[in-house]
Amino acid sequence: MMLSEQSIARMKEVVTKYPSRKSAVLPALTIAYRQIGHLDDDIYNEISEAIEIPAVEVAEAATFYTMFPKQPRGKYLIQVCHNISCALLGADGLITYLEQKLGIVKGETTPDNLFTLISVECLGSCATAPMMQINNDYYENLTRESVDRILKELTEQAQAEDEA
Amino acid sequence: MADAVENKKNIAEGVPTVTLTIDGRETTVPKGTTVLMAARGLGIHIPTFCWHPKLKPMGSCRMCYVEIEKMPKLQVSCALEAMDGMVVLTDSDLVKRGRRAIIEFILMNHPLDCPTCDKGGECDLQDQTFAHGVDDSRFDFQKYRFTEGTEGSTFDDLRIGPEIVLNRNRCILCYKCVRANKEAFGEYDLGAYERGNIMEIHRAPGRQVDNPFSGNLVEICPVGALTNTDWRYKIRVWLTQTTSSICPFSSSGVNTLLYKDDHQQKIFRTTSRPNDDIDDGWLADVTRYGYQIATSPDRLQTPLIKKDGQQVPATWKEALEIINKRLNEIKDKKGRVCIGGIVSPSLDNATLHSFSKLIRVTLGSNNIDYRTQYRMLPKEPENVYDAMSARSFKISDIDDSDVIVAFGSDLVKEHPNEYLRIRKACNFHSASVYSVNPYRVKSADVARREMIYKVGTEEVFLNGLCLAAIEAGMAEGGDLKEKISPSTAAEAAAICGVDAEHLKELAAAMANGRKVTFIAGELVSRSRERLCISSALANLTRLLGLENKGQVSILPHYANSFGAGKLGLLPQPPEGIRNALTELWGAWPEAEPLTTDGMLINMKKEEVNGCIALGCNPVMLYPDREFARESLEKLDFLLVADLYETETTGLADVVLPLASWAEYDGRYINLEGRVQRANRALKPRFESKPGYEIVEAIAEQIGDKLYESSDQCEQEISRLVESSNVQPLPDKYFDVRPAEEESDEEYPIALFVGDDPHHSGHLTEKANSLFNFCGEAYIEMSSELAKKLDLKEGDSARVESKVGKIIVPVRISTTINNDVVFIPRNFSSTTVTALLMRKKRTDRVKISKVVN
Repeated sequence: MMLSEQSIARMKEVVTKYPSRKSAVLPALTIAYRQIGHLDDDIYNEISEAIEIPAVEVAEAATFYTMFPKQPRGKYLIQVCHNISCALLGADGLITYLEQKLGIVKGETTPDNLFTLISVECLGSCATAPMMQINNDYYENLTRESVDRILKELTEQAQAEDEA
Repeated sequence: MADAVENKKNIAEGVPTVTLTIDGRETTVPKGTTVLMAARGLGIHIPTFCWHPKLKPMGSCRMCYVEIEKMPKLQVSCALEAMDGMVVLTDSDLVKRGRRAIIEFILMNHPLDCPTCDKGGECDLQDQTFAHGVDDSRFDFQKYRFTEGTEGSTFDDLRIGPEIVLNRNRCILCYKCVRANKEAFGEYDLGAYERGNIMEIHRAPGRQVDNPFSGNLVEICPVGALTNTDWRYKIRVWLTQTTSSICPFSSSGVNTLLYKDDHQQKIFRTTSRPNDDIDDGWLADVTRYGYQIATSPDRLQTPLIKKDGQQVPATWKEALEIINKRLNEIKDKKGRVCIGGIVSPSLDNATLHSFSKLIRVTLGSNNIDYRTQYRMLPKEPENVYDAMSARSFKISDIDDSDVIVAFGSDLVKEHPNEYLRIRKACNFHSASVYSVNPYRVKSADVARREMIYKVGTEEVFLNGLCLAAIEAGMAEGGDLKEKISPSTAAEAAAICGVDAEHLKELAAAMANGRKVTFIAGELVSRSRERLCISSALANLTRLLGLENKGQVSILPHYANSFGAGKLGLLPQPPEGIRNALTELWGAWPEAEPLTTDGMLINMKKEEVNGCIALGCNPVMLYPDREFARESLEKLDFLLVADLYETETTGLADVVLPLASWAEYDGRYINLEGRVQRANRALKPRFESKPGYEIVEAIAEQIGDKLYESSDQCEQEISRLVESSNVQPLPDKYFDVRPAEEESDEEYPIALFVGDDPHHSGHLTEKANSLFNFCGEAYIEMSSELAKKLDLKEGDSARVESKVGKIIVPVRISTTINNDVVFIPRNFSSTTVTALLMRKKRTDRVKISKVVN
């Protein structure tokens, strides 16, 4: 079992809020990935048991929504916008630079489990393009130098947390 | 205009209608009809991919575009309700351009690998691209290719079930498979994942697509995305011929089409031949893959005769001479009546009828029975069970019933097509389904209320329903109350272990329902107390007037069980049938008739010395294996005809190879009383012969030709079938006094034996595909019981009853309850009937873990 008792209890509570059980699938998926960090087949089966919905329906909903993580992710999730404004201002080059810098390709996680790199659709900050989001924070008007600095800061921050 | 008038005439009065114009022709259709269906009614073809007549519309493929006046864009006709005054164009330039664009989009990622695709030649996409598409592509980028999980496969194929192969590159995402699986079958082992370019159909997490209806998914796939292993790459579809046939495994008489090659004398697959009155075009897997029993190389090749204790091959002439000699010996020694005839209810009318004449007229015996797998009494007078199992019943009437009761029946295993009907009644007409069983069954998933009664209390439950209806003033009981026990509904509910309120609810639903369908299944017909249960059911039917507003039936189980009853293959057929037969044959044996049970008892006592078993296997199916075997061993002469060597042929003095249902023209009567024909697809394999010819050859050898030709026999049958009507139920209530059954603490668990969902009877384990779904027996139990017994899935369990013991692997079920286990009877390697006792009503066992 990967789901905690607390998560299961919350899922069962969510079910009671809707006229149809199926409606509880998305909240249940959210509860699961907030606890575990990602989703996979075993977790779909556990959710299915908790809210009494066939596992296939849970999996269908989870895979439809790209923002549910399907693989374990690094400590920092780097989401680079690749939509039109950012693209015009060099997002593609930025992504290539990040790939080289981190030694991974888009979609992968660094071996030290620190960074996961993905590119995403518009994050609504076109005025400050090119931009990226790392976990819950925006990093805007990016250049290669600012990217270097941000990565360095985050690495140091992680080390500091490890030591503490 | 003429169309509109013509159509309106066919619509029932009082139904609201709308009138619209399609391609300049006016038509009137019931309100709620889609534009697509209205057009089809006029014979106008609109191409589709995702539309299926038995599923709710989805509108995902957009192929059915039509132009509608005053609507700004093209509309999908499959999901658009026809409205008054609509003007529809199905073939305008705009529509043609729309279709062309859709085909172009669908082909964007389609690999166009028709030469290596098994669907080639019968592919909707191929046909429609040819009809509506363009001949080149404007896309010059790489097509998306699914490769995950397909390592080692040439064409990115992926096996997702025992018989199903998935190719996601070819899929056009019509969702028909996923929708049918969830909506029509209630199965959740297939889903549609992701979205956009990378959207794919795939099995459910951690599961196989192995539900009992999975073959349909392949059949409805419009492209080569889903194919099944039994057919793929064996032959191209245009090299085959088709023969219309029916399913030899189910009493519904599901219509099928056999694809065969005359040159190779081989059947390659079975598909549906949709008949809305019977099957809606869905086939259970046992119907779809069961044809393999005809083509297996293990078939009996020649007659076998016993010489010095060994069965050796012989010619038909030798075998028939021996049969004649031995039958004469018995006749001379003992007189006429000491011969018994047991026959399979899966055989066709001509075989059954001529067999009946052979036993009754030529051999002068009255011992004839088609029931080898049921418990019964040695002598059973004409009875209410026969009447209750041959009521007038229409499968399609299930559709608009508002109250449906499934009583003592594991529908998915016994009557898969009726189960789908019930699902349909729920999906489309919001029927209330009540599932009443001694253990939890899969079909209860659609039930509004599921009731579990204590094992062996069927008649108490039915009495309780009568009492509840009388107590609530919903029916006039007359003298019924004095004839049944217990005396109150509350008492009955307590004995059955069900909630008295639920009992009341069901009684009220049946009393107030507009149209009620009451189905009783094998747990009633197999029960030793079935006379008592049938009487209780007859009481209930009369009390609530169920036959005036619906239908009640104990459904027969095998392909021609209904026919066997109608043709009088019972020891004591109903009087009407007996008189008709006497008139036709000019004779009726005097001797006292015996049931299969009575015959076996008398064989043991050496009072019955000869037996002919046609297509049946009492040693495997009779609910007391040792008893059946010992009895048959005592016989002076045993003649068995079957497709394969079985436990029973092993005991025989003469074994004759029987042709399968696909090898001769035969007529069968389904559970509605509908006579249907299965045509000959192949020549009889090896030296086998159809049942009718075997019976006729035996009779001729004895010197008493039964019929001039099979036509004469068929004519006699049609006269017989036409003249016998449904018996009216007697205008009185029956006494139903349930006897209490003693429990046995040493054997605490109730055992139920029946068919696996992928098998039927004793032959289907020879069908490779079905064997792939389920290849060995298992014991199904709840996880709680397993925990108590310290057993896990796959562990070996020792199952013991008073008379026998077997070892079977454990399968954990989420549905079954804790004091009940289930073992399928279809596997010759597991002798489950050895655990059963013929005199008991409920089989009880104890279970322990096998320690290696």
